[in-house]
Amino acid sequence: MTHELQLDRLGKTFQNGTPALDEISAHIGAGSFVALLGPSGCGKSTVLRLIAGLDEPTRGRVLWPSGRAALGFVFQDPTLMAWASATRNVSLPLDLAGRPAPEARARALTALEKLGLGAFAESLPRELSGGMRMRVSIARALVASPDVLLMDEPFAALDEFTRSRLNEDLLRLWAERGFTGIFVTHSVFEAVYLAQRILILGGRPGRLVADLTNPAPYPRGRDYRTSAGFNALAREILDVLEGVSG
Amino acid sequence: MMRALRVILPIGLFAALIWFWGWAVEHWRIPPFILPPPRAILEVFVNDAQSLLGSAWTTFGITATAFVLAVVSGTALATLFASSRLAEAMLSPYAVTLQVTPIISIAPLVIVWVGLDQAWLAVLILAWISAFFPVLASATAGLKAVDPNLRDLFRLYRASFPQTFRRLLVPSALPYLLAGIKTAGGLALIGAVVAEFAAASGNTNGLAWRILEAGNRLQIAKMFAALILLALMGILIYAVLSFIEWLLLHRWHGDTRSRA
Repeated sequence: MTHELQLDRLGKTFQNGTPALDEISAHIGAGSFVALLGPSGCGKSTVLRLIAGLDEPTRGRVLWPSGRAALGFVFQDPTLMAWASATRNVSLPLDLAGRPAPEARARALTALEKLGLGAFAESLPRELSGGMRMRVSIARALVASPDVLLMDEPFAALDEFTRSRLNEDLLRLWAERGFTGIFVTHSVFEAVYLAQRILILGGRPGRLVADLTNPAPYPRGRDYRTSAGFNALAREILDVLEGVSG
Repeated sequence: MMRALRVILPIGLFAALIWFWGWAVEHWRIPPFILPPPRAILEVFVNDAQSLLGSAWTTFGITATAFVLAVVSGTALATLFASSRLAEAMLSPYAVTLQVTPIISIAPLVIVWVGLDQAWLAVLILAWISAFFPVLASATAGLKAVDPNLRDLFRLYRASFPQTFRRLLVPSALPYLLAGIKTAGGLALIGAVVAEFAAASGNTNGLAWRILEAGNRLQIAKMFAALILLALMGILIYAVLSFIEWLLLHRWHGDTRSRA
């Protein structure tokens, strides 16, 4: 089950009076993969937090035409409980929802195996590499089968190789599970590789400056990263971003 | 080699000091009411074992009770502070005032209030006050140091307060709390001894009272014996609390081996 959502003239001014977001309106279709792209400080993460309900908008609202969706959230840091094993970290959403412990554990193990971490189920976060920790974080976000997966620059701190591996894994999971994906990034290439649609935010306070579609079909293999279509779209986005900052 | 030296050197130094002490007392003819020889202290331990150990037990009982009370009440108040800023704003000035007022200056008042016939209760209250603040301060700091993203995650999954408390707040605060608890153990003992001195009454019957009593009678060897017992008790408390800390934290908080 996937959910569409509607951002209706969303605006946010922080408590200290700093305006963060101007009027953002967009419809995000069920099961789509959308990238929110823009320079640092343009309010991308704020949009994500408003969608997640972690912050309240000052103006406008987030609408869920087909009912409030179950959400998964991946932060920029893995945000793991340092004292708990990978399995216990992943089973957290199920534990909090009151699922029986054996079921939660079994589903957590399956989620870890999906991300290639079956052998590290009992490892503590400090025993894992940065990329592995991020995989645990993704497994946790997906374990309760969310309708919408929100990701806030999840791979920004990782090396290029790990990052592209995780991008491929993410697309594979999206194809399998069919959730609606909203991915915040400041990497043009990541946005183009992952998304069907790229919303470009810019300015202070942040506003929507472009809404681009990426028609390239999935699965997108490694070759796509070096294709003409990829480069043309990246070029177009870079031009838009140039215009915003200039 | 290095490890063996680490054990041998302090023991060797101790033996040398004890030997020099005995030699110096004899050589310079230091009167026993100034500095008794080590042998005399050993004799006190043997002859007065019953009264010394009884006193040690009294002091230890009060220290341990005050410590447990401090841990429970300090953690409880810290939890209240963490869940209500208003409560913190209202109560924390009083907690700080209680802490910065020297315990010895409150002692006479507390003793008057509870009555000299219940001096043990005054000692318990004063030891508790001494040990309370480090627990409160460390638990409050620990509860505030929770990763804000994890807090958001718990909110996102609509965790109840008991769930958040047990699964997030307690484990996050634990390293801070245990550091405070270690300090509190030592301070409970200090508070108990200071209060016994202030009460200066046979009703309390603890090790500090033995020190006062022996001092009044110029039984310096007995003073030393009581002093040594207090030091050993302090070391024991610290060692036990350090072990508990290691037990609870070494797995996820210990050495930072990581797979690159």
